[in-house]
Amino acid sequence: MWRRILSRLSTSLMVAWGSVTFAFLALHTLPGRIEDILAGDLDYPGLREAIATEWGLNRSPAEQYLDFLLRIASGDFGTSYVLRQPVGGVLGSQVMPTVQLALAAGLLALVLAVLAASATAGRSRSARALAALLELLFASTPVFWLGILLLMAFSFSLRWFPVSGAQGWQALVLPSVALALPTAGLLAQVLRDSMEKTLEQPFVVTIRSRGLGEWPLRLRHVLRHAALPAVTLGGWLIGGLLGGAVITEKVFGRPGLGTVTLNAVLSHDVPVVLAVVLMAAFIHVAASTLLDILYVLVDPRLKAQ
Amino acid sequence: MASPIGSVSSSRGISITLLFLVAGFWSVSAMSATQTTTPKSGGQVTFGVTTEPVCFNPQRSEQQNSFILSRNLVDSLLAKDVSGRFLPWLAREWTVSADGRIYVFKLREGVTFHDGTPLDAEAVKFNLDFVRDKANTNAAGQLLQAVEHVEATASHEVTLHLAKPDSALLESLASIRLGILSPKSLQSGDRLCSGGPALAGSGPFKFESYVRGQSASFVRNDAYNWAPGYAAHQGPAYLDRLIVRFLPEYSVRAGALSSGQVDVIEGIQPTDIGLFKDQPGFQFIIGPSGAQTSFTLNVNYTIPPATDIRVRRALRDGADIAALVDSVYLGTVRRAWSNIAPDNPFYDKSLDGSWGKNVEQANRLLDEAGWTGRDSEGFRTRDGQRLAIEVGYPQPFVRDNRDILIQGLQAQLRKNLGFDLRLRFITGGEWAQQKEKGNWTIYPNTYLPADAAQELSANIGEQGFIRGVADKGDKELFRLINDALQATSQDEKTRLVRAAQRRAVDQAFIVPLFSANYQLAARDTVHGLSFETQLDSPSNFHDVWLTAK
Amino acid sequence: MSEATPSEAATLLSDPSGRTGPAAPGAAIRRVIAVLWQWKGFLAAGAFLLLLAMVLATPHLLTAYDPLEGDALAGLRAPNATHPFGTDRLGRDVLARTLYGARYSLSIGFGATAISVGFGVLLGIAGGQKSRLLDETICRLFDVISSFPGVLMALLVVTFLGQGMLNVAIAVGVAGIPKFGRVVRAQTQLARNADYVTQAYIYGRSRAAVFFHHLLPNVLLAIPVIATVYVGTTILAVSSLSFLGLGPQPPTPEWGVMLAESRDVLRIAWWPGVFPGAALTLTVIAFTVIGNALQRRFERRG
Repeated sequence: MWRRILSRLSTSLMVAWGSVTFAFLALHTLPGRIEDILAGDLDYPGLREAIATEWGLNRSPAEQYLDFLLRIASGDFGTSYVLRQPVGGVLGSQVMPTVQLALAAGLLALVLAVLAASATAGRSRSARALAALLELLFASTPVFWLGILLLMAFSFSLRWFPVSGAQGWQALVLPSVALALPTAGLLAQVLRDSMEKTLEQPFVVTIRSRGLGEWPLRLRHVLRHAALPAVTLGGWLIGGLLGGAVITEKVFGRPGLGTVTLNAVLSHDVPVVLAVVLMAAFIHVAASTLLDILYVLVDPRLKAQ
Repeated sequence: MASPIGSVSSSRGISITLLFLVAGFWSVSAMSATQTTTPKSGGQVTFGVTTEPVCFNPQRSEQQNSFILSRNLVDSLLAKDVSGRFLPWLAREWTVSADGRIYVFKLREGVTFHDGTPLDAEAVKFNLDFVRDKANTNAAGQLLQAVEHVEATASHEVTLHLAKPDSALLESLASIRLGILSPKSLQSGDRLCSGGPALAGSGPFKFESYVRGQSASFVRNDAYNWAPGYAAHQGPAYLDRLIVRFLPEYSVRAGALSSGQVDVIEGIQPTDIGLFKDQPGFQFIIGPSGAQTSFTLNVNYTIPPATDIRVRRALRDGADIAALVDSVYLGTVRRAWSNIAPDNPFYDKSLDGSWGKNVEQANRLLDEAGWTGRDSEGFRTRDGQRLAIEVGYPQPFVRDNRDILIQGLQAQLRKNLGFDLRLRFITGGEWAQQKEKGNWTIYPNTYLPADAAQELSANIGEQGFIRGVADKGDKELFRLINDALQATSQDEKTRLVRAAQRRAVDQAFIVPLFSANYQLAARDTVHGLSFETQLDSPSNFHDVWLTAK
Repeated sequence: MSEATPSEAATLLSDPSGRTGPAAPGAAIRRVIAVLWQWKGFLAAGAFLLLLAMVLATPHLLTAYDPLEGDALAGLRAPNATHPFGTDRLGRDVLARTLYGARYSLSIGFGATAISVGFGVLLGIAGGQKSRLLDETICRLFDVISSFPGVLMALLVVTFLGQGMLNVAIAVGVAGIPKFGRVVRAQTQLARNADYVTQAYIYGRSRAAVFFHHLLPNVLLAIPVIATVYVGTTILAVSSLSFLGLGPQPPTPEWGVMLAESRDVLRIAWWPGVFPGAALTLTVIAFTVIGNALQRRFERRG
C-alpha cells in the first residue's frame, strides 16, 4: 500500500514539474520576442530592459529554465507589467474567494447528487425518468446562463440574496448553486449507475433480511460501496469547479481569481494568466493526488495489497 | 497684470445646487429630495461604480472613470464652476502676464497632505516637474507641454514660465489630472497606482483600504478646510466614510441599488432608468455634456479608402444617427453634431443640423468614387476590393452601450450603402502601438481635458491620434488648432476653435455620434449629489449627507 | 481518469432493451408504437439534429431576415407574427440570429472536437507503439494537459494567440486531446497484440498494410461514438468562452455572444436571451443523448 502511495506522489510531482515545463516551452515557442509577449503590448521606456533583467533573457535557455523552475517552486510568479505590481500581490487576496466558491459548490453538488441518486436508484421508472431528465438538463446548461437566471429570480425579483460581493454567506449562495447544479447533474448520473449495480449485490439482500429500513440501508451501506467509482471523478470535478468559478464570478460580479484572470486575458497580461493557470494546475494535481491516496486507504481490496 | 481668460474670483465658496437648463424633451431631473433640513454629519455611503481603476494615480491614469474616485482624495490648484469661471482652491489667487507666458499662483496656507506633509510652493513645483518629466511616463504630462520652467518664488508662491502662450493652462490646472499629491507619496513610484494609504493627496477623504476586485474605502479627512470655491460648505466632509464597490455588470449595479445593498450608483443602463426615475425612495440625475468630447468616430484619413473625402462623407451621412442614438439610449443623451460637447462654451452651434442622414447622396458619392461593384454579401467593391474600414475599439474603454451603438451604425451602413464598417475589440497596448505607427483606421472615443482647444489638439490636432503620420495630415486643421492653443484672447480662441470644428466635420475627419454624460441613481436619503463641471462626472462626496432611512 | 457522461439519462430515454412487458401478440401496429415509444428520446434527439443540419445548410429557407440587419427603431419587440422570437435591442430578428448562430456555435464546436480527435489519435497511436520511452512521454504529456482545468487552459491559449473563432476552437481543442489520446493508446496496445494482427504479419503483409488495413480501423472504431458525446461538451465550453468575449466578436450571431448581449436587457425583455439559450441547451442534450445511445449499442456489440 505504501509503495502505491509513494508512486502516486512521485507521479504527481512529475506532472507538476511537467506543467511548469509545458508553460516555459509554450512561452518560448511562441512567435515574437519574449519581452514583447510578457509586456502585454505595453510600451514605456525601460520596460523591455527591466523584463530582460528579471527573466535573465541574456542567459542560456537552460539557465533560464532552471531559474524559472526555482522561482515557481519558491512561489515567485514574477511581475505584472500591465498592473506594475508583483503577481503574487495581485493574486494573493483573490485566491480565498475563489476557493470558497469552489468548495461550497463542490459540497453542494455532492449533497445534491447523493440525495438524487439515493432517492431514485432502482425506484420507479417515472421517478428515475424525471431525475434523469433534470440531470441531463442541468448538465447541458451553461453555468453562466444558469447564473443569470438565478440572479434574475432570487436577487432582483425576490431579493432573498445580495446581488454581488463576497461578504457573508448570503453572497455565496447563488453563485454556489449556479456552479453546483451542472456538476451535480453529472455526478448524480454516475452515482446512480453505481448504486444500482451495488443494490444487486448479495450483501444488500443479507442486510435487507435483517430488517434495516431502505434509507439507512442506502445511505449507510450502499452509498459507501457505490461512492468508490465516483471518487475517481474527484480530480475532474475539482478542475471543472475551478474553471467554472472563473465564469461564475464574472456573472455575479464576485471578486476572485476569475475577475483578475479575465482582465489579464483581455489586456494580454501573460505573467498573471500564467500564474493563475499554474496555480490551478497545482491545486488540481494536489487534490486529485489526495483523493487517490484516500481511495487506496478506503478500498479494502487495495489496502490488502 | 490681469487675467485675460476667465475672471479671477476671490469670493469665498459660491453655493451651487445642481441646475442645468436644458430645453425640450431632454431634461435633467432636479434633485428629488427637497432640502428643507440642514445638512448633518455622520454615516457612510456605499457607491457602486462601473470601473475598477487600472491606476488610482490621477496624474498617470487615462481612464476617465478612475477620476470619479480619485477626486475624493486629491485637490487641484483651481476649481471651475458651472458657468465656466475659475475659482480658488489650493491656489488662493493668481495672475497672468499680458503676453500669456507668466503665471503666478499664491497658495492657500495651512493645507496639509494626508501623510502630514504641508502643502507649499516646493511641493507644487515638485508635482508639476514630476508630471512634466518624460521619464515618469505620466499621461498628464501632455497638459504641461507649453511650460518651460516652474519656480517656487516664495514659500507659498509658484511661478510658471511658458515657452508659448497656452490658452488651456488654467483649465488644465483645474483638472484632476494635474491634482497635487504629497511629494513623499509621488516618490514611492509605481505603487501609487495600486491605491491604499500610499496615495496621499489633500482631498476631503483619505484612502483607507483597497481590496482588489471588490471595494475601496475612503475615510473622512478631519483636517479638511480648503474646499473648492464652488463647494456648498467649508470644513470637513459630512460623511464618516465612503465605500466604493466595483460592480462592472449593469444588471448587478442596478439590482444592488434597488435591493438596498448600495446607496448610489453611476452608469445606469437606459432600460433600467425606469426603476429609479420618479420612483418613490429613489432619485435619478443626469450630468452635463460639456467637459468631455462627444462620443466620436475619429477617422484616419491618411489610410485608403478613407483618404477619399467622398468615402468619409458617405460614412458620415449614410446612417440615421439620431434614430440610433435614441433607440440605444432611450432619450437620455443627445445626438452630437461636433466632437466638442454642446454644453461647452466653445461649441459651434451652427453645426446643429448641418449634416447627417442623406442616404441617397451618400450612395451617389460612393458611385462617383468608383465603388460600384457588389460582392456576394452585398458590400460595395472597387477593383475586387470590398469597401471596408475597421473600428478598433480598445477593450478597457468599452462601456456605456457604446459598442451596441457602433453595431447599430454598422448594420445601417451595410443596409443603406453596402459599406462594411468592421468592429474589432483590441487591447490597450495594441491601440498604443497603432497610435505610434499611425496605422489605426477608426478610433471611437470621448476625451477629457475640458478645454476645447486642448481637446481638439489631443484628438485631431498635429499631436493627436494622427501624430504617427502627421506629415500626411490636414495642415489647415492643424493650423487652426495650434493657433487656438496659443490664442491670448477669448474671442480669438472661440473663433479658431469653432472654425476647427467646422473643418473637421465638413471634411468628415470625424463622425460625432452622441454627447456623453454621467448619470447617478441613488436612494432618496442621500443628499447633495452633484457633478463637477470640469469633469462632467460626479463631484467628490464632500457635500454629500444623509437623512435617516 | 473516466469522464462523467450523462449516460444513465440517455439510457433511460433511448434504451430499447426494455423493461416493459411483451407487446400484445398479433398487434403489429402496437408493437411498432411500443418500439417507437422506447426509442422516443433517441428519435426526438435525432429529429432535432436533423432539423439542426437543415438550419446549418439553409438558414435562409427558414427565415426571411438577415441576422445582422435590423431596424434600430423597432428594437426589443416581443415575439409576434412577423418576428416569432421577437427582436433584440438593435431591432435584429432573434429567430434569424438564433438560426444563423447555429453555424458559428456548431462549427467552432466541431472544429475544436476535430483538433482533439486529430492530435489525440496521432499521439495515441504513437503512444501505443512498442517504444516504452515514447509511451511514457506521451502518457505524461496527457497527464500534464489534463492537469490544467479546461477553461483556464483555454484562457491561457487565448492570451497567447488572441481572441477569435479559430483561436477559441484551438483553445478548447487542446484541452480535449488527452481524452481521445488515452482511448486510442489503449486500443492500439490491445490491437497490436490481437490475433488478427499477428496473423496478418504471418501472412507476410507489410507493416504499412497491417497498420492501415487492420490496426487503424479497429483503433478508430470507438472514436465517432466518443466524439458525438464530446461535441456537446465542446459546444458548451465554446459558448462559455464566447460569453466572456474571447470568441467571435459582435455582431456575429454566435449563441454565447447573443447570451452575453441579452444580459443587459433581461430585466425588460426575456426573448433575446431565452431562445439562443434554449437552442444551446437543446443542442447539447441532443448530442449527448445520441452519443450515449450509440455508445450503449457499441459496447453491447463489442
